[in-house]
Amino acid sequence: MIAAKHKEKALRIERSLAKCAPQDYEIRIEGAMLAATHWVNGAYHAMGVSADTNDILHTYMLTVNEYRRYAAANAQLIDRLAEIEDVRPLYVRGDVEGGQAVADRVTRLLEDIRNVAHSL
Amino acid sequence: MNIEGHLEKIRRLEDLRGRLDRNGDFELWFWSTMTAGTNAVNAALHHAKITPGERAFPSQPGVYSVPDENAGGFKSVLKASGDVLHVGRPPIPGPIPEDIAEMMKAMEQIEHFRDPCTRGEMTIDENVISACDRAYGKCADLLRRRLSEKKQ
Repeated sequence: MIAAKHKEKALRIERSLAKCAPQDYEIRIEGAMLAATHWVNGAYHAMGVSADTNDILHTYMLTVNEYRRYAAANAQLIDRLAEIEDVRPLYVRGDVEGGQAVADRVTRLLEDIRNVAHSL
Repeated sequence: MNIEGHLEKIRRLEDLRGRLDRNGDFELWFWSTMTAGTNAVNAALHHAKITPGERAFPSQPGVYSVPDENAGGFKSVLKASGDVLHVGRPPIPGPIPEDIAEMMKAMEQIEHFRDPCTRGEMTIDENVISACDRAYGKCADLLRRRLSEKKQ
């Protein structure tokens, strides 16, 4: 997907995220993951690091070499996306206490990713 | 996760579904629907004693985060059976009760739209929304019936 479409989709998801309440932490985390993935893909496409036809689905599906290549281009983008993804087992698929605080942290990671994407 | 944990998540996810605009907020409405449905399938599988309801949360098929009794926190372990991340991930070996097989079919209809509509550019229209809504309604109804009619 081209960078402009990724941005459009990320902004649309962020508008929906604003409607979530603090207790909707599973979807706040999942929505942040989705929006962040769009920002990250759009940024790497715009930088010429990846082709429009080659979107990252999840960081953990990349080979180690691919991950390192993205990190060499901009580590903040890929590392923060991985950080968002890593909370999903315990707080989205699991019922570990503290989901709201984790969703707050994930929201800040999404903001960081958006700021990096905007700065490129 | 245990059945009560799945049901608590379903209750909150359904509440959010009701607050979101299923067209304007499709991506999160869809994700709430899919997540609630997956919780429903997992609860049904636990109820049928096909998968264990326990504190083990999947990170990828066959890999689960479980409490680390020695170090505290959680650790990753390999497990043959537990919650599915999505229907089919991992596949559940048969035999599967007819009602749960129907739930899984309904979830496959929902999952069909996941990547095209949330990550890609597939047009989100009333046909897509209605198909997801009908499939989720069927899945949720089958779980309710199982929990109310069938003894564990």
